[in-house]
Amino acid sequence: MKRLLLYGFYTLMIVVVGGAFAFKVFQPVQVLPRVRLAPGFSMINENGERLTNEDLRGQFTLYSFTYTRCDDPTCLALDETMLVIQDQLAALDLGDIPVSMVTITVDPEYDTPEILLAHAESVGADPDYWQFATIADPSLLKYVVGGGFETYYEHMDDGRIRLDPAFVLVDGWGIIRGEYRYQTLSSDSDRIIRHMGVLAEEVQNSVGSASIAYEAAHYFLCYAP
Amino acid sequence: MTDKQSMHIDPYEKNWIRLSIGLLVVFATAVTVAGFAFGFQVPTPEDRVDPRTVATEGPWADPGLRELVPGKKYEAYILAQTWAFLPNEITVPVGAEVTFYVTSKDVQHGFKLQDTNINMQIVPGQVSKLTVTFDEPGVHNFICTEYCGAAHAIMFGTLTVE
Repeated sequence: MKRLLLYGFYTLMIVVVGGAFAFKVFQPVQVLPRVRLAPGFSMINENGERLTNEDLRGQFTLYSFTYTRCDDPTCLALDETMLVIQDQLAALDLGDIPVSMVTITVDPEYDTPEILLAHAESVGADPDYWQFATIADPSLLKYVVGGGFETYYEHMDDGRIRLDPAFVLVDGWGIIRGEYRYQTLSSDSDRIIRHMGVLAEEVQNSVGSASIAYEAAHYFLCYAP
Repeated sequence: MTDKQSMHIDPYEKNWIRLSIGLLVVFATAVTVAGFAFGFQVPTPEDRVDPRTVATEGPWADPGLRELVPGKKYEAYILAQTWAFLPNEITVPVGAEVTFYVTSKDVQHGFKLQDTNINMQIVPGQVSKLTVTFDEPGVHNFICTEYCGAAHAIMFGTLTVE
């Protein structure tokens, strides 16, 4: 009897360890990491309306950062990527989860709501999906964009602005789930669209006992590429 | 042949089996405690980049320290190559939380920042990322810990906290 218990224990150990190993290797469930909490903010959108992080609860939000005076190709590429994603959103099946896109200007002294509105129209932004935002108190912006979204920008002494292009994907709970800082092997728009699908799957399927599998995927770092 | 005889295990062997299982438990506990209680970080591959273009496009084309929040939060993009780190001198203020993004444009390197818990493999095509907070003023060398050719021994840089 005692031996039976011992064998039972060993078998259980092998199943648990082997199962965990197989789960990590074959990754039947993939998730996006819970990177950290997205920052809180209160901004003004291109229509002069208040836009806070709380308004974006319950939906996926994709943030990008730019300034309208930028004539660098990287800024044009940022808007271009957002536009590609915007055009694919309608065809994307995310269940009932709405998606928002917010572009925050890092040049709030110059980029007033009127200028942002003109910029939105010139790039072809669909106001149903894509908003532009500026901040009333520019001294707070560094804490939101640099401290919260960890996106680097700096106003140089000669008046130029240095900006590292970045996209940040935030889920409905206000948690950052994706950061896209540099060109990886696949294009940013493809990755972001794919990641939105992965995130929507987790939100929809992670109920009841299936949520254990999703938590295990987080624990074993089974992150979607 | 009785059941007992068929399963006979020498007492010495039995003790060794117990010891090896006990060691596994000790190691698993140590890893868990190190990870969750002491905050040891495993440098997971953050992302993949193209090593052929990494030195000319994106943040490593202009490597160095970037200030996210003045005096508080920084990120450092460091490019490893034979046989130097770009940049090889970094200065941060006391209390700064610095996230290192390191990649290589040629062969495999290492990045160990002395007297911190940062020690990463730098693999071409892969970005290694770790964060550390500098609470004390001082000088930390970062050295290449992976043999990368003739001048591997002189591949190092200096981070000053002041």
